[in-house]
Amino acid sequence: HLFSLLLTLLKTADLNCVYSPSDTSSYSGRDLLKYCINCALKREEDVHVLGFEVPEQELRSELDSNNKHLFHFHNAYSDPLGWRKQSSFTVEQFSAENITRLVRETKHAKASVLVIDSLSWIERHHNPVAICQQLHKLKKGGAIRTICCLLHMDLHQQGIVESICHLANTVITVTAVNNALYAEAKTTHRKKSGKVMQEEEFFTVMENLSLSIEKRPSQSGHAQVHSDAKVDPASNLTFNLRLSEVEREAKEKVALPFVFSQEKKSALLKKGQGSGRIIYEPDANDDFDEEDPDDDLDI
Amino acid sequence: MFPELNSILSSSPENFTEGEFILLSDRQADASFLIHHYLTFYLRARCRVCFLGLVQSFSHYSVVSQRLGVNLTQAKEKGQLVFLEALKASPGVLLGDESSDKTAALDYLRSPCPELRGLYEFVWNSLSRAGGEDAAESWGPPVLIIDDLSVLLSLGVSAGAILDFTHYCQATICSQLQGSMIALVRCDDEEYDEDEESSNYLLKALSHQCSLSLRVEGLSTGYCRDIHGQVEIWWRGRGMKNQRKIFQYKVHDKGASFFAPGTSRAVL
Repeated sequence: HLFSLLLTLLKTADLNCVYSPSDTSSYSGRDLLKYCINCALKREEDVHVLGFEVPEQELRSELDSNNKHLFHFHNAYSDPLGWRKQSSFTVEQFSAENITRLVRETKHAKASVLVIDSLSWIERHHNPVAICQQLHKLKKGGAIRTICCLLHMDLHQQGIVESICHLANTVITVTAVNNALYAEAKTTHRKKSGKVMQEEEFFTVMENLSLSIEKRPSQSGHAQVHSDAKVDPASNLTFNLRLSEVEREAKEKVALPFVFSQEKKSALLKKGQGSGRIIYEPDANDDFDEEDPDDDLDI
Repeated sequence: MFPELNSILSSSPENFTEGEFILLSDRQADASFLIHHYLTFYLRARCRVCFLGLVQSFSHYSVVSQRLGVNLTQAKEKGQLVFLEALKASPGVLLGDESSDKTAALDYLRSPCPELRGLYEFVWNSLSRAGGEDAAESWGPPVLIIDDLSVLLSLGVSAGAILDFTHYCQATICSQLQGSMIALVRCDDEEYDEDEESSNYLLKALSHQCSLSLRVEGLSTGYCRDIHGQVEIWWRGRGMKNQRKIFQYKVHDKGASFFAPGTSRAVL
């Protein structure tokens, strides 16, 4: 089970990985991001967050309280463009150099974890190529050991999503299942040997940021493992287009008007009482052939 | 405001969630009845409202609100409502009339200025003062209503600039001031491609940020006199808190009624 394997990896040391939870608006990858942050805090690592999309309190909630002093939130939410002249971190400052300096300012010498929430926000203001370059520099730099970025797949063209995912050793794509009661995670992990492993699993994030992982979603009242490929056109209508069993039988019994069935054939071949007869008197020009022209037909 | 919608959303002028970002959207339908609902709702709740009227005149909303029992002119005079009448002020800005005090807010009309910073500053100035000069009137949390964001795309503002603007509004009004924000995005069916400057893209991006989404659509089976359309209400949250429900609606002269699909009085 790759996902669970990965999460075990997250709990232990792992060098220079870029994890990238990718999500769409139907299910937010932020819970998974918070889970990654929590794992790092439990391992007593410094976590530096570039927070663009949600305020600090939203990210801090539910995190492990023992090591909260290791959690450094660089506020890029309140004033990312400098409009209010009270910015802490602006989007302009996104560069390997600036981030490395920020991270080195903390007293611990241990290499840190960098969390970016989100890359999609930064992509609106920076060239995607430049972003990839900076991430690559950070990866090689040494000050940061693990980079974990959130990317909203549905907001970018496929090429951009692929370039960023290419940089990552691990990409976890989350989609909603059964109205987001739980989610499906498609994990692609590229090992140092070059081998690529892929896995699909289902999970839910609980209240205390613990994960519950299953190979198959739990069978609740209206759970669906995979959505059916065929779309039923008679569903979701405000009137009934379906047939009950009785109605279906009656429908089968109806003789269609132009189908040549056994009953029709015998009715036609039978001579009815007082039915009309055709009397034909051939005149001189007619080439009247007594033979039945339909003789060769096998009726 | 519509009492039936209040009960569906479990909110009332006396008791509503603070710090909400409510996203209204429509596709082949008109969701502006929801704008009228929220405008009258928050005025009734004694909140300070900043209304960015980018597509209709003040009198339009005033007439409708009158039918819903709220006097907009009075609210404006009391200082409870700040109304930006963009249509009226636009010619002045476009023709370079410097005397208009709304020039900064409508800066986006003057290309090549791509930012909505001026508009944001107008919103901030309107809502940041707690209660205004008259200290006797203390209003509730601030509320921003935008009707609508799609027209800004048509006026040449980039989707990125609009998202920066909504980001700042959310950061200051919702997170900092614990107020609420309601924005309408109108979509066309033709823009189904990967275009990053379309209303569809804007809708997707804002869906990530909102706490509540109301999507209005026409019925898939076509026009119906008694059912004007359906609205999908999406409470965004984690696990059980994430709920989606669909209701059909009909707009009347003095309100709107909401009912479960298939239970319209015309059908039952």
